[in-house]
Amino acid sequence: MSVSRETFESQVLGLLGRLQGVARRLTRNDTDAEDLVAETVARAWRALDTLEHEAAFRGWIFRILNNTFLDECRRRGARPRFEPLDCEAPEGDEEQQFSIFEQMHQPFLLWFSTPEQEFLDKLLREDLERALATLPECYRIVVILSDLEEFSYAEIAAALGVPVGTVRSRLARARSALQKILWQQAKDIGLAAEAPAENECSETASAPRATAGRRKKGEVT
Amino acid sequence: MTKHEIDCEQALDQLIEFVDHELPEGKHSAMQHHMRACKSCFSRFEFERRLKEKLGTLRDTEVSSDASERIKRLLKSF
Repeated sequence: MSVSRETFESQVLGLLGRLQGVARRLTRNDTDAEDLVAETVARAWRALDTLEHEAAFRGWIFRILNNTFLDECRRRGARPRFEPLDCEAPEGDEEQQFSIFEQMHQPFLLWFSTPEQEFLDKLLREDLERALATLPECYRIVVILSDLEEFSYAEIAAALGVPVGTVRSRLARARSALQKILWQQAKDIGLAAEAPAENECSETASAPRATAGRRKKGEVT
Repeated sequence: MTKHEIDCEQALDQLIEFVDHELPEGKHSAMQHHMRACKSCFSRFEFERRLKEKLGTLRDTEVSSDASERIKRLLKSF
């Protein structure tokens, strides 16, 4: 055994809030989340020999959490949206390119007046919660581990059992999908509209050259 | 453009790793340099960074006392 019983206990108790939080987002249900964490801890204890060193504990136990969740979904016959194949980008995937910034950014506006930043200012916690809950499981887990739990790519790779390069590409698709959902939500309630002019990427931080296509602050609301 | 400089296309290709602090030092510095020079790429970086920051506020670490007791009992049973 690579870590002692005392170390196992203190690591589990130290991570309990985060395990519970991630489990709640995966299961969307307090009772299922508690069952998932309990089953994860039991499995982790039985699999302690597979933990190489204490420093790897976090990635290791979150991998067990994720696998336990997937096993439970399969056992219940839930639609396997989380299956690895579903996470891979289809040929010519358009979703990967979606960016709220590209939809809204207007390069000729003044530095301090940017519709995309105003969009972020108006985003409520509930908007983000709803968008995150709508993401397919395979995308939701990478956003949770990266953006909420602040895992490194290497830790996410360990937690999901995939190469680091896969983490990067999956995160890119997940964030694109999340932005697409947020954008749709915002459009549905009239909070967002596309920028009128095409964007450009200038290599200089020059002052705005014109005010063509400029939108007043209030128009994005 | 010197060998340390990158253009907008290269910057956008690496934006996700830059936002996530996953770039090696040399590439990270080149990105910082580009962000200081390019308003558009900087604006995009700021958008992505702030969205990530907002998502970070959703982190949920609440554990009910019942759930905590359950895990403590489980640990004692091993």
